[in-house]
Amino acid sequence: MTELDCEQVLRMVWEYLDGEMDEARYLEIQAHVQACSECGPRYEFQRRLRELIERKCREGPVPADLKQRLFRLLDA
Amino acid sequence: MPAMGATTVVPVAETAADDRQRFTALVEAHLDGLFGTALRLTRNRARAEDLLQETFLRAWRSFHTFQPGTNARAWLYRILMNAYIDGYRKASREPEVVDQEDVDEFYLYSRVQESEDFRRSGNPEEAFLATLMDADVKAALDSLPDPFREVVVLADIEGFSYREIAEMLGIPIGTVMSRLHRARRRLQVALWEYARRARYARADVPPAGGGGR
Repeated sequence: MTELDCEQVLRMVWEYLDGEMDEARYLEIQAHVQACSECGPRYEFQRRLRELIERKCREGPVPADLKQRLFRLLDA
Repeated sequence: MPAMGATTVVPVAETAADDRQRFTALVEAHLDGLFGTALRLTRNRARAEDLLQETFLRAWRSFHTFQPGTNARAWLYRILMNAYIDGYRKASREPEVVDQEDVDEFYLYSRVQESEDFRRSGNPEEAFLATLMDADVKAALDSLPDPFREVVVLADIEGFSYREIAEMLGIPIGTVMSRLHRARRRLQVALWEYARRARYARADVPPAGGGGR
């Protein structure tokens, strides 16, 4: 595997954060990102952004009356 | 009461009650997530409740096909997505949305770095992320076309793999990846707009990033 340059590393940010790559590549990118002042902050920002979207879009528990209504359907 | 014969005849009513109990336990564990997903997909409380009920009934009707030990969550979400695609979304085709040429994967990062307003705080990334409220992020997500919103919900919020999403939506993995890339770019553009508006409205400062009216 040839060493990745910044452009290639930046292009793979989502696959990296989504955990959609093999371990060797993951470790290679991780090492690059930790050492690189170009890629490091960009990766960190995307990671936080992804985490923020997940956290802010979560809904609370399903309303009790709806839940009750659903399970009552099984008795029909 | 122990059965003495070679075969034990289990009354039908008992197995039915048994099924109900297993089904209830299985669904209950995932109901909150399914409801949240239905809300994000339909963007409407009443429609989300309908979709959840449809999903629930479909799952119950096909419960006999569920293989114990396999991924119950993926099974339920597949049923949810099928019900949603059948009855709730308009286009199943690839969205004909022209991507903006100047928008790349790091659109937001670049905007935040260039912004005088966010830079003034000393930590522009932090200042930007703190600006976004729940309602801003939800509204930005809601603004995406259906096929884009679906993949963001399944990947970013529900944490499914590309393969699982491909199976749920009946599309190739490559399509999941390209949709997700395009969706995340568009979401960043929307988030930037919401953050600017929010900052303008809440902090009584001019919109960040110039280009004021």
